[in-house]
Amino acid sequence: MEELLRMEHISKRFGSFYANRDVCLTVNRGEVLTLLGENGAGKSTLMNILIGLYQPTEGKIFLNGQEVRIDSPSQAVKLGIGMVHQHFMLVEAMTVFENIILGDKNSKGLFVDREARKSEILALSQRYGLDVELDKLITDISVGAQQRVEILKALYHGADLLILDEPSAALTDIEVEGLFAIMHKLVDEGKSIIFISHKMREVLHISDRITILRAGEVVTTVPCEETDGQKLANLMIGRELSGSQYEKKEARGETVLKMEGVKYHEGSKHNGLAGVSMEIRPGEIVGIAGVDGNGQTQLAQIVTGVIAPEAGSLFLKERSVSLYDPSAFIEEGVSHVPEDRNLQGLIGDMSIADNLVLKSIGSDAFSLGKGLLLKKRAINAHAEKMVEKYDVRCTSTGQEVRSLSGGNQQKVILARELESQPKLLVAVHPTRGLDIGATRFVHDQMIDARERGVGILLISADFDEVLEMSDRILVMFEGQIMGEFSGKNPPIEEISLAMTGK
Amino acid sequence: MEKLRKSLTGFVVPLLSILLAFVIGAIIMAAMGSNPATALGALFQGAFGTAASVGTTLNKAVPLIFTSLCACFAYKCGVFNLGGEGQFLFGATAAFCTVHCLGLTGFPGMLAAMLVGTLAGGVWGMIPGILKITRGLNEMIISIMLNYVATLFMGVIYTNWIRDVTVPQTPSIDGSLKLSRVIPSMRFTWAFVIALLVGVLLYYFLYWTAPGFKLRAVGLNMTASRFDGFPVNRYILISFIVSGAIAGLGGASDLLGTQYRLINGYGAGYGFDGVAMALIGQLHPLATIVVAIFFAALRVGSTSMQVATGVPTSVSDIIQALVIVFSVAGMALTKLPEFEAFRLRVFQKKGKEGQKA
Repeated sequence: MEELLRMEHISKRFGSFYANRDVCLTVNRGEVLTLLGENGAGKSTLMNILIGLYQPTEGKIFLNGQEVRIDSPSQAVKLGIGMVHQHFMLVEAMTVFENIILGDKNSKGLFVDREARKSEILALSQRYGLDVELDKLITDISVGAQQRVEILKALYHGADLLILDEPSAALTDIEVEGLFAIMHKLVDEGKSIIFISHKMREVLHISDRITILRAGEVVTTVPCEETDGQKLANLMIGRELSGSQYEKKEARGETVLKMEGVKYHEGSKHNGLAGVSMEIRPGEIVGIAGVDGNGQTQLAQIVTGVIAPEAGSLFLKERSVSLYDPSAFIEEGVSHVPEDRNLQGLIGDMSIADNLVLKSIGSDAFSLGKGLLLKKRAINAHAEKMVEKYDVRCTSTGQEVRSLSGGNQQKVILARELESQPKLLVAVHPTRGLDIGATRFVHDQMIDARERGVGILLISADFDEVLEMSDRILVMFEGQIMGEFSGKNPPIEEISLAMTGK
Repeated sequence: MEKLRKSLTGFVVPLLSILLAFVIGAIIMAAMGSNPATALGALFQGAFGTAASVGTTLNKAVPLIFTSLCACFAYKCGVFNLGGEGQFLFGATAAFCTVHCLGLTGFPGMLAAMLVGTLAGGVWGMIPGILKITRGLNEMIISIMLNYVATLFMGVIYTNWIRDVTVPQTPSIDGSLKLSRVIPSMRFTWAFVIALLVGVLLYYFLYWTAPGFKLRAVGLNMTASRFDGFPVNRYILISFIVSGAIAGLGGASDLLGTQYRLINGYGAGYGFDGVAMALIGQLHPLATIVVAIFFAALRVGSTSMQVATGVPTSVSDIIQALVIVFSVAGMALTKLPEFEAFRLRVFQKKGKEGQKA
């Protein structure tokens, strides 16, 4: 087969962090190459390099055997590379036709020859079976049709290589079938496709070859017919596991958190919950394993009172919750290490000291007369103590929290959340982006909290972390709990399959 | 040490902008054939030269202090109240109508006027607040539109309902209502003292109380504040009401202190001037007061400058505008990542040494 694209020894470094390291990849004419990997494996970075959004730190890209430099998205379009993003890039208030001819290189001059353009587009759409209504507004057509518009747009701009980023995520099953038919047709006509997906079944169904990325590096590339879901899941997660260094416990007694049939935006596979039930007892860590975007965000926000479920019930310390409001949950002893520490956890422009007392500023310890006069000395003394205890590396406690590194920011949040003597700690991706030392510190603190009798809900896309920390493991997929596993000698293969929906 | 550095950098941008504005102002004066030194000297002489001129400057600063505190307070909660002018005027109008129609005089009249002015300003500020939190409407647009409503409402009053015989203005308020001078030889009245008190009160509330702390947190990061259990919408609404009330009190005070009557053109520009001054004052209530006095000085001094050296007052307007342009640009500059990198390069050494020590 003729080679279309070759990426050689591509590395992309952000600071000291390698998002991609020494990645080699080839795409042949008329094939579907799948990129498979966990979140943060480097798929998006690699594709952003290919479409000119990022420049590689090292490495070369060859197209049709010629070395090319892709320094802007428009350059990528010129070279015949088109990408259909997971979130469509369409102007909703414009028609399908207008969206397709946006940025058209054929329409020189002031006026657009609408009829000529239209017939060109119609010809294309018939050739590839991309059925769209050109005069409808984007807002009025279905998600599947919007995707066809994106593909048609890429083809119209001359794409030979199409990158489809999780194209099936937003589609119904029937639409997915339609998408696959289109992909087959495109490949038959000599176009090449890079397909990004987590879903084993789809990947095995459509791919010619599969390249597996892990931690920014290529693990291997395998032809589709020589592999199966089990092998792929193992390669993707890359597990040669040593046992956890932490002792696993079994907790008994009254629950700190109980959920029964909790539903939220049930229809949405990726941002909803379809009847989740679980229990957490004092002194145990319950880990939620699963690929990002299977309802974990919504789960975390419901158990901390940020959003209210649409159905089902929730019990804190065996008492049914009726009011979904973060302050009520905080009152009940729920602590939250949120998913996005800068956006949801910290006030970046305030000092370390201020952030440490964010939730307890009105208490007697830090103010007189229920908040009428702040005790700045007490606040600063508290900050000094916490910085020491939680090993926050900073020049002073008056430093803006924004200027700290991610690990130290996370320590500030952890100090605030654990010092409030919580009954339940909800930790979402608590070590995302942290180095090994900081990760270890966060884990130790969580284990200490467990020993003190805190019930912990750990939500993490990092499978290692879930295995390492959890006393019980629940697997989430498309808003459902796929199964519960013991944290002691967990059946890794079963869990990794459950993560992909099997 | 950290705090010192932060407040120093806070001063650097406004001071540099003022300096730059004066340099350019001086160049313009020179180009017009005047000696910049004498002209600027006359300007400062006019603003601060005598006890009387200081009094005039402080008096001129009163409405500016109120509207800039109004803008400052809303900004601190992360919302943009561009309706300071409308709230100021609505406060003044309501205060005037109350004392005029009820025939109140003396101290009770003053008290009533201020109370009604504050309430009216608060109501005027509440409207964009409610529309924002319930319907998600843009508070800037609503508050600006309400400026016109307030101005025109005042217009109806001085042209129709309470007109001073044939002149399109209202009659003056009763003499017993007029605020007296703090020091008889200087022209500034108790309205200035009220303005100062409001500023100090705001400073105390924002920096020394728990609700003020939370309000600032909401202003800096609404999402995190929501996750931390603060009632974000309530804070937003309260900040609008208080912000409007400050401007309303300003309207009432200015009416009783200097203006005495409603008249065409009254209050024009105060709202936006206030926004600019609050920004130059880095949204700190006390700094904002200083900035307001500075601007008042430029305005008062420009007349003396024109009389003494023939440099038109508009040069002073240019300087004022340049201060605003430079400080806003300067603040935007300090937010750029390139600037941060530059700052780190310069200060890195010192920082490291500090860490070791």
